[in-house]
Amino acid sequence: MNHANSLKIKNSTLLSLLAPGLAIYLFVIIVPLFTALGYSLTNWMGGLDKTFIGLENYAALVKDEIFWSSLRNNLLIVLLTVIIQMGLAFLLTVLFMSKAMKLKEVHRTVIFLPVVLSAVVVGFIWQMIYSNDYGLLNAILKSLGLENLISPWLDDPDQVIFSVTVPLIWQYLGVPLIIFMSAVQGIPKDIYEVCELDGVGGIKKAVFITFPLIYDTIKVAIMLSISSNMLVFSHIYVMTGGGPGTSSMVLAQYAYNTSFNSMQLGYGSSIAIGIFIISFGIIIIFKKLAEVKQE
Amino acid sequence: MKSILSKIGKYVFNIIMIMFSITCIFPVIWILYSSLKTKDEFMLDIISLPARPRLDNYYHAFVEGKMYTYFISSIFNSFTTVFLVILIAFCIGYVLSRYRFKGRNFIYTLFIAGMLIPVYALIVPLFVQFKVLGLYDRFFTLVIPYIAIRLPLAIFLFESFIKTVPVELDEAAYMDGASTFFTMSRIILPVCKPVLSTILILAFLDTWNEFPFALVLVTKEIYRTIPVGLTNFYGQYTTDYTTLMAAMVLSILPVIIVYLLFNKKIIQGMTAGAVKG
Repeated sequence: MNHANSLKIKNSTLLSLLAPGLAIYLFVIIVPLFTALGYSLTNWMGGLDKTFIGLENYAALVKDEIFWSSLRNNLLIVLLTVIIQMGLAFLLTVLFMSKAMKLKEVHRTVIFLPVVLSAVVVGFIWQMIYSNDYGLLNAILKSLGLENLISPWLDDPDQVIFSVTVPLIWQYLGVPLIIFMSAVQGIPKDIYEVCELDGVGGIKKAVFITFPLIYDTIKVAIMLSISSNMLVFSHIYVMTGGGPGTSSMVLAQYAYNTSFNSMQLGYGSSIAIGIFIISFGIIIIFKKLAEVKQE
Repeated sequence: MKSILSKIGKYVFNIIMIMFSITCIFPVIWILYSSLKTKDEFMLDIISLPARPRLDNYYHAFVEGKMYTYFISSIFNSFTTVFLVILIAFCIGYVLSRYRFKGRNFIYTLFIAGMLIPVYALIVPLFVQFKVLGLYDRFFTLVIPYIAIRLPLAIFLFESFIKTVPVELDEAAYMDGASTFFTMSRIILPVCKPVLSTILILAFLDTWNEFPFALVLVTKEIYRTIPVGLTNFYGQYTTDYTTLMAAMVLSILPVIIVYLLFNKKIIQGMTAGAVKG
């Protein structure tokens, strides 16, 4: 609102309209941020003993191998998602622009559908797909005569992290797709008309025109993907719980296990703060490096 | 010759696209039809369609598996959250878009920043806070964080929409002696219908699907929501795939219906929120 208006409001009315929302928001989102900092400086196990131990938790965190291997898993998930999901979404966006494609609405509705499903259900669906004896994937491989590819998808420590990433890529493919598609709509049509007159091919158009013109949007989508994948929890909780061993452990799952299974609330809080700092850090670094412009 | 080739090319391209879409949706379809098979039928052949579709699994899941209690809890949480989010976000969105006052920009930024804050990193301190204050494991427990995490997007959508509504509307109402409350509820709110329905649908979906808070903040059976209920259910029926599938279908049915009815609105709202957040 750039122009001054003549609206007047009583301070008491203003306050009563703002207060409930502000109160609940501060209580749930801002206060825990500070209490987490406080708890992370104690050895609290949920009982009466809550001794201030300074930065000991953080010193332990820096040396905590599970913490770093969880971070590595998160980063691997981010990397795989960015490359495969964004790549696929861009390819689909280009295909959606082609006049040859029919049933665009149907395709978009179908590809986007998994986005609205709950992470828990998606986790269970994929657990059933991956199941050794009654899994869809192994059954399909068997019926195709590809028995040699049958594998314990979620039980093999070497491949489990890839197995748990596939559902994430699958479920949220629709998100970058709709973001790219709305960006593409902003590109003036005459650019493409000129290309067609000059006989520029489809692939060239995608690489030299569409890609650079929606590049800023792609960066925003990557940032979104980073921030959600750094905190991925429900899918992993349902499919593997971080196992076997800690081979599919991610940061949020580790914070959960530490805080609620072994009740180390002090140390769990320091992990939470660690996640907070690292995911913010990565986003800020990415923003700087990629020069993300947001309004 | 060339035109025939390009025609064939078009067909092949469309067939590939259709196959891709079917692959995308197949896991969901597989769960849908498998939930209509008997356990033995499923174990005999995992891929085949049910010989005679039956709803036994649904009965098992809903009645014996007590899915109905999770449904009641999820419905209560979703409806309460949606109602209060709309009420609170509308008040704040209205004030922020219509009035300049000290701290206005700070409050706006504070809420919008909420779209970036990794809320789930705060689950441990929030759990402690709820325990200490006696808010843990009560019927209203989950509504509190649910409202808070839905507010940023809802406020953003309301604020940017009300900005586009001519301020002369409010001015005329005040001229006629209408109160702030009357102007908001009778003049502006009806105009906000399109954005209101977007917020309503998104808040419903997010609340219905939410898992981490529900896992950590309540333990009583009657307060458990569907996602947590499903993980419990899985513990009891580990080998009974078809019953579990029926439970899963029950839990996603409302979401899929809402999606099929309003997918354009959902996609619109999510794009707006995503690009801003």
